[in-house]
Amino acid sequence: MTSLDEARSLLREFPVVDGHNDLPWALREQVRYDLDARDIAVPQNDHLHTDIPRLREGGVGAQYWSVYVRSDLPGAVPATLEQIDCVRQLIDRHPADLRAALTAADMEAARAEGRIASLMGAEGGHSIDNSLGTLRGLYELGVRYMTLTHNDNNDWADSATDEPKAGGLTAFGREVVREMNRLGMLVDLSHVAATTMRAALDTTSAPVIFSHSSARAVCDHPRNIPDDVLERLPGNGGMAMVTFVPKFVLQAAVDWTLAADENMRAHGLHHLDTSPEAMKIHRAFEERTPRPIATVSTVADHLDHMREVAGVDHLGIGGDYDGTAFTPDGLDDVSGYPNLLAELLERGWSKADLAKLTWQNAVRVLGAAEDVARGLQATRAPSNATIESLDGDV
Amino acid sequence: MADLQPDMPRTAEAGEDDAPPDAPPSLTTLPALPAPPARSLRQEEPRAPEPHTPGGVLLDQAHALLAAHPVADGYSGLPWALRQQPRYDLEQGEATIDTDLPRMREGHVGALFWSLHLHDGSGAGRATALTLEQLDHARSVIESHPDGLRLVRSAGQVIDARNCGRVSVVLGPAHATALDDSLGVLRILCALGLRVLTLTGTAWAGEGGLTRFGEEVVREMNRLGVLADVSGAPETTAERVFALSRTPVLCSRSAARALRPHPANLPDELLAALGAARGLCMVPLIAEQTGPTVQDVADHLDHVREVAGPESVALSGTYDSGVVHPRDLADASRYPHLIAELLRRGWSEPELALLTWGNVQRVLRSADFAARAAQHRRPDPL
Repeated sequence: MTSLDEARSLLREFPVVDGHNDLPWALREQVRYDLDARDIAVPQNDHLHTDIPRLREGGVGAQYWSVYVRSDLPGAVPATLEQIDCVRQLIDRHPADLRAALTAADMEAARAEGRIASLMGAEGGHSIDNSLGTLRGLYELGVRYMTLTHNDNNDWADSATDEPKAGGLTAFGREVVREMNRLGMLVDLSHVAATTMRAALDTTSAPVIFSHSSARAVCDHPRNIPDDVLERLPGNGGMAMVTFVPKFVLQAAVDWTLAADENMRAHGLHHLDTSPEAMKIHRAFEERTPRPIATVSTVADHLDHMREVAGVDHLGIGGDYDGTAFTPDGLDDVSGYPNLLAELLERGWSKADLAKLTWQNAVRVLGAAEDVARGLQATRAPSNATIESLDGDV
Repeated sequence: MADLQPDMPRTAEAGEDDAPPDAPPSLTTLPALPAPPARSLRQEEPRAPEPHTPGGVLLDQAHALLAAHPVADGYSGLPWALRQQPRYDLEQGEATIDTDLPRMREGHVGALFWSLHLHDGSGAGRATALTLEQLDHARSVIESHPDGLRLVRSAGQVIDARNCGRVSVVLGPAHATALDDSLGVLRILCALGLRVLTLTGTAWAGEGGLTRFGEEVVREMNRLGVLADVSGAPETTAERVFALSRTPVLCSRSAARALRPHPANLPDELLAALGAARGLCMVPLIAEQTGPTVQDVADHLDHVREVAGPESVALSGTYDSGVVHPRDLADASRYPHLIAELLRRGWSEPELALLTWGNVQRVLRSADFAARAAQHRRPDPL
């Protein structure tokens, strides 16, 4: 049996729980939620990284669908509700393949039925508009993790890719974490500044997750996790879900992206400009300087390191499919997970290790958050603190 | 516990079936009683039933009637009022507000629509988030009074709650601005329990009436079972919604304009159209709209019954919503006084049963049926 066959057979028993997939945002941007125009029951290789046939091929058993919305536009709350509505519609349309999941028990039930447990994660504290009532509304609707920031700071937490402001979490930010603990919503520390990671770990009474982040010691990018934080995961009980995004995981790709951005700025353009003339300049750059390609092995290097620092009980996978323009060779779309497992088998990972990586850790972490919430709810009422009352005028 | 409400319901659950087929003639022949002293007596001794005076007899009859057919109150501002309170216990009673469980029991309130309307000016651009906060707050109030209140989503759950001696809370109306012009947001608010939406104040349901998108909102509301409220909407909007909606429509706070020229009151043509569409004119206990006395409110109820029909008239307490109430109707315990006045005017028990309870039940149930039927016909629109 080849290691790929072995990987596939392993995944039949312990499928992948993926921490982050941006299909809802892709459906919003591409077709304004016209779900007939992007019917995921059939292959959508020309448009998306994700559809049901490829999820099946990739051995995915549970997916945290991201209900991400941009932080630089007004109306984050209604837009987030639309994203949630999209996920609910997807689940309604594909009852044989997708099952709504709110708990660890739901995840196990979905696995037993051979359906893909569908969970939701909100990507950025801007989605609650500084309101704990809104946070509870998102929980009520099924959101089971919230990334504390996206690429920009919010009023109470610093992002990894913005200028330091709060210095971690403000008093209200800590209250958000405590209320998430009370609800049983996982605190997601992808995207946040290292100071915020540490502040959240100091505050939380439940396991945290990194829904899509890799190791900073392997590739020095702010979106990755420093070793001192990885070292705290065993004590916290949480997990880091390795991401595949080339410009975060491959040093050459990090450098290339910086150079490409610099090239845009040198031409007087914003580095995220996608207008035709900007793309022309970018293509010329890409012809002069070929884009470095990440591979399955690049991602496996991160996992080897993260395993050494955090331990095999604290690892998972968060591909960020449909949230990134480029993907590594061999992990081109959601059908690629078996290739990663085959690589890890060849590196000596045991079947028991892989079962933890793909399935067991993620189910344990959500279940642990539920247990903590039950305990807290017995003693603590919902918090109605406001950002003004805790942080002063913002 | 089931013994919290002194009078267990003895009636069938269907609104129209609530009334016994042959109502006791004694009730319908009562108006011969002398009228004038009733008002002043009630004002002097508002709470004490007086079995030996004519007013006392009517009041006893009103209590008996309401025990069988409690009040479904179409508009309560309680959630917002409680947000202004540092702490509260509805079970103990709260003097600073108009509504608490002891007074609801005294007034025979069986169901309340809880307004989620926004009150402060900061709603601009934040209406969705503020409505989510209102929903969260309403849930938390209900959860902290499990022996008194129960959140309901359907007509059937109203009956279940009543059988358990709980006051049903129906969430809504909310303002249409809460949708942020999105059907997805409408579906999500409905998933969180919203049952009534007031169709005013947006680009698609504004002074110019209902746009094509506005019509799609109404169709989606029908599909979800969210009732349309057109109180305060321009007549063009109201008429269009009457015609378009597959289930009866509410006017959550409207009295008769023929009696009092308030903009939220309905002119006779609209009342007739509402009656033809089997919708509900929920007469508010707001002095500005009805006049300052119980008799004024009764005049409006008489008029709406006359023009829209006995199946299209209902009550909105409007307590805790920052309005001035008619004298003698100052809080949620006072409904028996209004019913006594209507008894004096010759309203029959079947008519009163429809007014207080049956009509609202019919409209909620109709919305549930229309939603189930529509979901078989139509997929989600975009």
